[in-house]
Amino acid sequence: MGVRDALAHLAGGAVAPVFAVAGGGAREAVAELALSPSVELVDSPAAASVLLVAGFLPSDLHTPLAALHDAMPDPRCTVSWPLGSDHGSMPLSSSRLRIGPDDEPVQAVTRAYRALLSGVVATEPPIQPDVDPNPWRGVGPYGQGGRGMTGGTPYGRPMAELGPDRDGLRLDVLPLSIGPFFPRFPAGLILDVVMAGDLVIEGRVADSPFGGGEWRPPVGPFVRALSEPVPVAEIELARARQHLRWASDALITQGLPAFAMRVRRLAVTLTPGHASSVRALSRRLRLLRVPQWSGAGVGRIAPELLTGLALGPVSRAAGLGEDARAADPAYAELGFEPIVARDGDAAARWDVRLAEAAQSLELAARARGQRTGGVGIVEGPRGRLGPDDSPFQRLQSLLPDLLAGLEWGDAVTALASLDLDPEEAGTVAARPSRAEAA
Amino acid sequence: MLGPMGVTLAVFVGSLVVVLGLWMTGRDPRPRSAPESVPFIGGRPPAVHAWSRYHARYHVMALVFLAFDMEMVYMYPWAVVFVREGPIAMVEMGMFITILLLGILYAWREQVFEWA
Repeated sequence: MGVRDALAHLAGGAVAPVFAVAGGGAREAVAELALSPSVELVDSPAAASVLLVAGFLPSDLHTPLAALHDAMPDPRCTVSWPLGSDHGSMPLSSSRLRIGPDDEPVQAVTRAYRALLSGVVATEPPIQPDVDPNPWRGVGPYGQGGRGMTGGTPYGRPMAELGPDRDGLRLDVLPLSIGPFFPRFPAGLILDVVMAGDLVIEGRVADSPFGGGEWRPPVGPFVRALSEPVPVAEIELARARQHLRWASDALITQGLPAFAMRVRRLAVTLTPGHASSVRALSRRLRLLRVPQWSGAGVGRIAPELLTGLALGPVSRAAGLGEDARAADPAYAELGFEPIVARDGDAAARWDVRLAEAAQSLELAARARGQRTGGVGIVEGPRGRLGPDDSPFQRLQSLLPDLLAGLEWGDAVTALASLDLDPEEAGTVAARPSRAEAA
Repeated sequence: MLGPMGVTLAVFVGSLVVVLGLWMTGRDPRPRSAPESVPFIGGRPPAVHAWSRYHARYHVMALVFLAFDMEMVYMYPWAVVFVREGPIAMVEMGMFITILLLGILYAWREQVFEWA
């Protein structure tokens, strides 16, 4: 074994830096993968050697995916993890590394990383041409491409426009399109913002790329309950799990990754007997003042704006008791009552979700074979689900007013507290055709 | 044998070799490709250049800090004569701090401490 091989072998034993794209139906699987100590999910392609493409990606996201692939430094490889979806038309379909249904995903990823470093697998060539779309022109006294300090188009990109400032100044406003693979947002979420410094002047979330009808999503208990009665225990366990997954993601957003992993581990192993663990977690978070410090007064939505929107924990955190379960006889039998808070901000959403997670586990433990009765409308973890009607679409209209005037950090906290899920738009859009097929 | 100068020189040359060695090993052997150089904001290229002027509001807070820092400078000579001058020095310093405090309250009302 030469020195080079020995070094490659040594480097291959390190934690694999992976940039994960969790497409449709893959968020849970990727979140579980992150629990392994041999894999590190990095926040930027510049820090990654392995690009993991999991689940379904609609065609609108293929070009950004190719750009993401090319932004990774050499050596790089792609591991595709279809999870039952069709990866056929993707720009990375030539990738030889694939995680099959019987493979152990952590092992497959670390094996790919080792093979890449030892040279068994060659680094992948770029998909897009290596041509600078905005070449450096080197014109003008500062090389900025034109006359004056900010004149011209440095690197071929236009300069930001001027806009009014709170203090009566006219300064630059920067339009940015964040996503669809921004690590703090779910894959597919595109946030169009106009920033002045770190202040959001305007913000809107683009339509979900999953809503185009391309996707045949896996049918979870909530979607199944739209057309058939589902055991209350099953649906409530799924709800508690989703709330804990949200808490784990929100903790990563707040810069507490180790705590987030503990919550995620609890979400993976959750059973109806874990209600006391969830309550203990809630107490601990309150003791550490995580929700209060990050979310008190942030992303507040007035109850009158939410009336009738049935946005689940977001509505209930603002004091509205809207919950489709309240009208279901099966839940009435179990003594269900909606949990509400008053403040309507990100901190109140923390409280409501954690209290609901514990309540769901208690309901699941008490349920003796009861099944949901409200066919057609279901209370999902993010609000009312109906055919062609998802909480994501209803939330979109509220976001411009919510985001305007927030600092960037608060804007991310506010968006994270809403638990936006672009996949949901595709899930309910695909639902009627599934019912017809059945 | 070498003496202090020799030891210093040896440490300097040794450090230089280590720093250069680290620099050489960490150096990218090939220039970055165009797609690698694009700033990452989630997968789509930025529409405008990031070279923009924005209002650095924290500079006002820095000025307020400087004002109070200077106030502390005035307190040193005051502390030296405080015992000799007696209560009158206490009252004078109280007046000085009250005037500064009014400045703080004014700045607060004008939202100086809000960065956003």
